[in-house]
Amino acid sequence: MIKGHHILLLSLFIISCEKDDICIEGSDNTNRITIGFLDNETKNLTGITLINVKSIENDSIIHEEFSGGSIKLPLKVNSNKTQFIFDNKEATDTLTIYHQSIHQYLNRSCGYKSNFLINTQTEITKKTGWIREITVVKDSIFNEEKTNIFIHY
Amino acid sequence: MKKKQIYLFIISIWSSTNMVVSQTELNSSDSLVVNDKILNINKLNLGLDLFKPIKSSSDGDNLNYEIVGDLQLTENLYLAGEYGLVDKLIEDENINFNSSGSFLRIGFNYNMFKNWVGMDNSIYLGLRYATSNFSNKIIDYTVRNQDSYFSNLVDSEYQTIEYSDLSGNWIEIVAGLKVETFNNVYLGFSLRLNKLLSNSKPDNFDTLFIPGFNKVTDDNTFGSGFNYTLTYSIPLRKRK
Repeated sequence: MIKGHHILLLSLFIISCEKDDICIEGSDNTNRITIGFLDNETKNLTGITLINVKSIENDSIIHEEFSGGSIKLPLKVNSNKTQFIFDNKEATDTLTIYHQSIHQYLNRSCGYKSNFLINTQTEITKKTGWIREITVVKDSIFNEEKTNIFIHY
Repeated sequence: MKKKQIYLFIISIWSSTNMVVSQTELNSSDSLVVNDKILNINKLNLGLDLFKPIKSSSDGDNLNYEIVGDLQLTENLYLAGEYGLVDKLIEDENINFNSSGSFLRIGFNYNMFKNWVGMDNSIYLGLRYATSNFSNKIIDYTVRNQDSYFSNLVDSEYQTIEYSDLSGNWIEIVAGLKVETFNNVYLGFSLRLNKLLSNSKPDNFDTLFIPGFNKVTDDNTFGSGFNYTLTYSIPLRKRK
């Protein structure tokens, strides 16, 4: 009689154990914005050398001694505006990107990722100005395959 | 919705009491032996869960409570139910949210313990059908991001998300024991294994916790819980 109860109680304890949910390495993740650099004359993708790229309100540098045709930068997930300072030896220009951050629920272990929609009024605040023009070519960021913004210089 | 469940709970206990009382009145002309064998309505037990109010106040949540009750039907069979109110901050892996709502469980307990004369303890098995209505309010969460240059914490400064009118239904297997500590006062402990039947799925979120059911895991529908109860037994008939 009592034995049966013991087994039942024990099995309740065992079933009550649960495995930890772990977010798998390759799971969906928040993507960065891809910015390409174009020569203003030829409109061809042209490599550029920057001293550094950083956020306007954060002193630490995202990319130091950057050179290449395109750069990937993180956007703020908890704001509708992200501002970057591009330092190009002679001049520093500020790029202001207005965007919507759309948080997509994945699961308990991974939580949310963020997708972005870039607004068209994205603007540059020229200081002395090495940036001539910017164009938004792909306003949604659901992956990192395509270039979202071109900087013409 | 909460009120509806309270009414349901009270009505179900009350109506079953009535039914049983009227039945005993009808049977009063019959021989007492038959009456004792089939229906044996001696007591109504009402009580409280001791753990939930203490846990909720120590966690800084609003008062959580659970009322328990059962009514003896035959010598070993009891009609049993619980009603509870939960308002709780859930600190999950990536998301902190508040879950608040009520739950109602209705079912039976079957006592398997043979008492010595004069004692009234029980070891029982039970079955319940349970339902809960609740709402979730997301307090904050960390967005999964390969880049941690900016803070990935999203809190109420950016947005507040609330989901109301969520529901869940489940069945429970209960195993418990009850010991008479003073005259008509019982201390009890029970363990519950829950199997989720259905639950609402909020947009762009998931049901991670159901009041009364507790944690809902990603890939299985089992849950568990326990009760520490203090109950008072109301004798419905004078003991012979």
